Amino acid sequence: MKIIRIFLFCYLSLSMLAACTQVRPWERGLLAKEEMAWSTDPLESSLNDHIFFSKEASSGGSSAAGGGCGCN
Amino acid sequence: MIFRKASYASVMALTLSLSFNAFAVEEGDDAPAFSLPSIKQGQPDISMDALKGKTIFVDFWASWCAPCLKSLPLYNDMYHKYKDQGLEIIAINVDNPVEDGLDFLIDTPLDFLIPSDPDGETAELFQVIGMPTSYLVSPGGKVELVHMGFRTGDMAIIEEAIEKVLAIN
Repeated sequence: MKIIRIFLFCYLSLSMLAACTQVRPWERGLLAKEEMAWSTDPLESSLNDHIFFSKEASSGGSSAAGGGCGCN
Repeated sequence: MIFRKASYASVMALTLSLSFNAFAVEEGDDAPAFSLPSIKQGQPDISMDALKGKTIFVDFWASWCAPCLKSLPLYNDMYHKYKDQGLEIIAINVDNPVEDGLDFLIDTPLDFLIPSDPDGETAELFQVIGMPTSYLVSPGGKVELVHMGFRTGDMAIIEEAIEKVLAIN
């Protein structure tokens, strides 16, 4: 009984962490708007992405333009 | 000790409940049944049940999704190519507000069925993994192909799968 109570407490506490919320693919309409991007210039944005990828060996996460499927 | 075990278990449970992709509709699964209103006012509701016995291509799209907008005119050509052989296309629009989807349709008229799912209930049912995602459903109701994203070359893959399903049925 005690373990269930602790489990529920931990689960509910963790589930309240806002950072754990996932935006579903079909809910990315607002994120895909131009004004939501860090940079509104696509050329500058792709150059910055390229530099970031070269330096950090990671890419993505800058905006959801292109639909957010990560495939285009 | 008990606290540690419970913590591990709750983290695992939370991870599982958040990783919704684990429950996404996959090839070989039964296609979920749905019924949605048409995006065009005055048109009847669109449901999978009403199209039983047909090969159905279900696509999820939105006006803010660039690859979706690229794919839809090509799907319209594909619809005219295969409709006499029993192909139906249901392109589910997930725009919220719905007017965004309708604005796109003014410039790009499409001849297949376009239901509206602004609350994402059907997208949730399919556990759509990205935009766009399409599902080819056989007349028996099985998902034969799940296709995520869209590039021009993808039409060959999709049409090959459609021809295969149409040939069997």
